[in-house]
Amino acid sequence: MVLLNFTLTPEAAAKVHDLLVCLGKFSDAVAIEARRERFTFTALNSSKSAYAALSLDSKQFFTNYECVPSHGGPDGRFTCSMYTKALLSVFKGRLYDPLGRDGAIDRCEVSVQDRPDETQCRFIVKMVCNQGVIKTYKLTYEAVDVMHALFDRNVAKNKWSMHSGALKEYIEYFGTKTEMLDIFAGEDGRAIFKSYTEKISNGKEILKHPLVTAVAVNTSDFEEFNVQPGLHIIISVKDFKAIVTHADTLKTNLKAYHSQPTRPLQFSYGCDGLLCEFTLMTSGDYNAAATPTPVPQQVPSRSDSRAQSAATERAESRSMRSEMPPPVEPASRRSTRRRNPGSRKASSPRSAEPDPESLFVRQEEEEEDARWEPVDYNNEEGESLGWDASAEHNAAAFPTFRDSGSLSRTETEDSNEALAPTQRVSQIKGLW
Amino acid sequence: MRFKASIQNINTFTKLTASLNSLGPLAWVKLSDDQVCFTIIPEQGTQVWAVLSIDAIFETYTVQSAANNVINLEVPLTSLTRALKSALNATSAQLRLTKKDNTPLLALTIVTSSSSNSYAAFPTATANNHEDAFDVSYDASLGGGPRETIVTQEVPVRVLGPDTVAGLHEPQCREPDVHIILPPLLQLKSISDRFTKLALVGKSASGSTAARTRLDMAANMHGCLRMSITTDAMSISSVWTDLNNPDLDPGQVAGGEIGIAEHPSTRMKQLGSADGRSDEGWASVRIDGRDWGKVMSVGRLGGRVIACEFILRLAPADFATRHNHTAPASSDTDRYPGFCHEHALILYVYLPSDNGEDESVLTYYVSSYSA
Repeated sequence: MVLLNFTLTPEAAAKVHDLLVCLGKFSDAVAIEARRERFTFTALNSSKSAYAALSLDSKQFFTNYECVPSHGGPDGRFTCSMYTKALLSVFKGRLYDPLGRDGAIDRCEVSVQDRPDETQCRFIVKMVCNQGVIKTYKLTYEAVDVMHALFDRNVAKNKWSMHSGALKEYIEYFGTKTEMLDIFAGEDGRAIFKSYTEKISNGKEILKHPLVTAVAVNTSDFEEFNVQPGLHIIISVKDFKAIVTHADTLKTNLKAYHSQPTRPLQFSYGCDGLLCEFTLMTSGDYNAAATPTPVPQQVPSRSDSRAQSAATERAESRSMRSEMPPPVEPASRRSTRRRNPGSRKASSPRSAEPDPESLFVRQEEEEEDARWEPVDYNNEEGESLGWDASAEHNAAAFPTFRDSGSLSRTETEDSNEALAPTQRVSQIKGLW
Repeated sequence: MRFKASIQNINTFTKLTASLNSLGPLAWVKLSDDQVCFTIIPEQGTQVWAVLSIDAIFETYTVQSAANNVINLEVPLTSLTRALKSALNATSAQLRLTKKDNTPLLALTIVTSSSSNSYAAFPTATANNHEDAFDVSYDASLGGGPRETIVTQEVPVRVLGPDTVAGLHEPQCREPDVHIILPPLLQLKSISDRFTKLALVGKSASGSTAARTRLDMAANMHGCLRMSITTDAMSISSVWTDLNNPDLDPGQVAGGEIGIAEHPSTRMKQLGSADGRSDEGWASVRIDGRDWGKVMSVGRLGGRVIACEFILRLAPADFATRHNHTAPASSDTDRYPGFCHEHALILYVYLPSDNGEDESVLTYYVSSYSA
């Protein structure tokens, strides 16, 4: 039995959407770990080469947060695992919309129903929308034990930090099908981000080889760059893109910590009570250039290092709370948002497909280009000619009915906040 | 073997490779002292033979090789287009042929500084974070100077020997019966796309697996173009009138004035009418709707201007007039398809050029069905 209730503002709910989109690029399922002082989403990819932990601070991120784990005292926790897609269908895009259009919510209330006297254990999300509409989602979850990847920042002598906006520009240069990213600290005051793919074959196939893209950046353009010159460190370009894209939705600095190739690398960023940490596997020099592999100053035995890093991690996570930046006053935050109402949409990864309602004129170049592309007749289900023979026109006229389903109707009866959507069609025939 | 050039018109180059890429994945690129040729010969479908003057896309240009300073390359267009797209906002872009691990490649080096502080221009959500406050003052102390980033895109290529390309010849075609300037391509494309879609719907309803999308394209010498499609269930056609049939240049037709008098198109002129209602005088060709959609992709090279300002100019199919005519006043793209009766459709797409001396022309040999 656990007591877990929290409430999110629309902005925070939109951030949950963004982080789920990011985690979805790593794993099909996210694990949730709720503690008294923070709520953490974690994901581990199938090859176990990437681990993500995104912590939401109980005081800063939520308007209201209450977590009393059933056992374990102050260190107790509630853990479970859910499908990323299931959560994403609840935490949709555009939950936060200053203009209050479709999909915008007023607040989001989450509770966990996990009591012996209940027949069902459910993760319940209540989206309180404008005009008193409440959408309730009851999700199933799997009780799992959550594991954490440990990362010892004391060993990670190399670190750099850069604004996510700049990194976002760099990843846009990368070819689409590349696999690896080599981050190289040059000796000439430049750092090179190089996306490439390991050689597949020779001969004719060579022309199918994806682009190799190298982006050379002056180290002075970094906020901080403290990496041993000549060091190559290689990670997956897909992971990097997912991380940078998410960091860019927060407009923060992205910090990287690493020691040497084959040892883990950690990306860290966050703001406003959200702290994101990604621990990634790395590999060494891709062309085996004669770069001396740096030896860590102290190589403790395996068990030692485990214990040590475990200890530091614990210490670190404790201190995390105090390190969190002070909260931004909601008022000022809202006003910046208002000034630029489309900003979330523009930066969210979902915005790949053009939003017909967007306030922004789409980039004319791209639009122009798409118009000239040959039509793909095989892949145009949505646009095919024909008519709807399903005779469900009436249902289509009442999207609310279908959307909320029977669950929300029972719910709305309980809470007297909303009108039951049961007006007779005959009463409103003037509309047709 | 050396090739090095700085790209002058990155936008045109990108649009060119993108529209060629819709017809085939690989291009044969021939670099020589006075021109650059792009040739697409897909296994089936339309061939493109494009001849560009150097200054249509390049600025400083060096090509050296043992074979008369000609370099032949096989280039994957998807990668090249992707690489060029990343240079759209560049301050400078340079293309050169190089070698790495024994693999020849085209290296595109892009210098960009446009990105300077674009992200810092807006207040961020963490503006009162200490680090960001530091950034702002840091940028300010540098006067917000541009950050210079160098991007290198490496496109793998294959070098073709002179004997490999010796067997590749541009198709030959007899004198055309009708030549006409097409209506704005965007209009044409949207109508032909719609027709193709209708044909596909009809086919899938009748349960036929091999969906054929035969467009019938016909034109006369009185400014009419007719596009139609016929299936078991329907027959639709669109007719454009008042288009232009450019006059032939006696200096360019074999036999001069007499040649013109005997030219097939002169005979066609005696048939048909300008309202497009007569059954006579049409030269028609059957083309594949999907393939045509890919050909229409070239419209992007003309840009937006096409629909409103369209300059017509002479260009009978198959003639060598392309080296002769005067410069267009505006930067438009002109198109002249040549209809050889029941035989073939050829499209000439003229690219705008600054000085008008060296025309760049893309010749499309549109694949057609025999009657």
